[in-house]
Amino acid sequence: MKAKAVTNFVATFGVDIILNPDLIVEKNGRFYMVDAVLRSLMVRADFFYAGLFLGKVKEGKFFPSFNLLSMLAKKNANRIVVDRKAAWLFICGRPLFAKSVVRVFGSVKKNTNVLVLNEFGECLGFGRIVGDLSPKVYSDEVAVRNVSDVGDFLRRERF
Amino acid sequence: MHNVDNDAHSRLQCQGINPTFNMTPVDLSVFEKLLSPNRQVLTVSGKEFFQDRYKQLGWELREIKLRQTIRINNTNAQGKNLIERLNSLGVPLQKIPFLQSGYWVLDSKVSAGATAEYLLGLYSIQEAAAQIPVSLFSDLKGKKVLDCAAAPGGKTVQLADTMDNTGAIVALDVDKRRLTALGNHLERCRITNTVVYLMDARQTPLLNIPFDRVLVDAPCSGNFAGDRDWFKNRTLKDIQRNAAIQKEILTKASECLSRNGELVYATCSLEPEENELNMDWAIKHLNLQIQEISSYGQNGLTEIFGRKIDHSVARCRRVWPNETQGFFVAKLKRS
Repeated sequence: MKAKAVTNFVATFGVDIILNPDLIVEKNGRFYMVDAVLRSLMVRADFFYAGLFLGKVKEGKFFPSFNLLSMLAKKNANRIVVDRKAAWLFICGRPLFAKSVVRVFGSVKKNTNVLVLNEFGECLGFGRIVGDLSPKVYSDEVAVRNVSDVGDFLRRERF
Repeated sequence: MHNVDNDAHSRLQCQGINPTFNMTPVDLSVFEKLLSPNRQVLTVSGKEFFQDRYKQLGWELREIKLRQTIRINNTNAQGKNLIERLNSLGVPLQKIPFLQSGYWVLDSKVSAGATAEYLLGLYSIQEAAAQIPVSLFSDLKGKKVLDCAAAPGGKTVQLADTMDNTGAIVALDVDKRRLTALGNHLERCRITNTVVYLMDARQTPLLNIPFDRVLVDAPCSGNFAGDRDWFKNRTLKDIQRNAAIQKEILTKASECLSRNGELVYATCSLEPEENELNMDWAIKHLNLQIQEISSYGQNGLTEIFGRKIDHSVARCRRVWPNETQGFFVAKLKRS
């Protein structure tokens, strides 16, 4: 299936999403989800961008878009809510400490991916759980390593 | 008056050029060179040259300090108390009276382009006058829209937001590097209804799609308000070249307009060759009519350097730099 890279990645967050293969288009390893109206207007194969960007495959690895991560956040994927200060540090590419985590939803086993949400429930990116996230823990040890965050939009523009 | 023959003198005046401008006796050889049959005065530039042109059009050049402006992406920001959130971050806002979702940023303590809210696509940074063209379209939801010369995508995102991500937008640009910026902009603002092609807007008939709405935000000479070196870098020749390209884009874009479709033409140029004179040409050659619009700005000029043009050009809007950068907009429909 065209979008296997997408669905495989999604599964790591403990959720399942059904993607209509007819509405998934791929260009240079970048995957997009389009609706029927947009699909009907895609008269040329050499598009640059289309519909909702889901992510890209590079050297065999899938890199999700923030659109996809936001979709997962709405689908009850494994996720944590962090306080305001930690949310800002996370956007700046920094890791998260257990003490910054305000709420935990779903499974948060070590070495799994988790979505990171701010106090408003907006998805800021995702990280890899590397420490203890249980509510009793109050430590200055890194609990979630930053993998990808929306600050990337600013970092991209520098190049 | 310097020693310039009468024909040359009147020819210059027709082009909005004051032949006595900035002349000293030692300049005469330069002037003769400029007046040679092929070059005429097209390479003339400089602040005083343009200042004189603007004066002839009824506007006195003045220094402008633009304020940063944002536009709320209503589809994403709905129910998120964005204005309060930004205020609490130290980004106070003031509503722009002539825009639906535009706000001026007042003495911000933080960069409005680096907040989480910006990165989450709740708002875009978009100059106030640049928010006008999209607002001129009626009833965008569910429509097929063509956005010519779309990068870096401020107006494309505004279109998609106004459409609430319904219908479809075909966005074109010829610069691949700028398309990357457009793609990032679409991703950041969670746009779902747009397809982007690396394509010259003059090739739009090849798409063979009738569009309900067409935005021709034409590549133009720009204006001095956002470019300190503008006067140094522009000549009349550049302006005439741009005006010719704009005519070509208008011609091809109008061919894609559906029967009851709307075409909005916009530039951020102050030069009448790229604005009123192009509109006068369009209504005479492209079977288009200029529509009445209710918008910020002054009526389009109908007398350009002594030459009278079609009275319906007054329905366009010319925005001289003041609270905003300079801008020109017109809404057209098939006759």
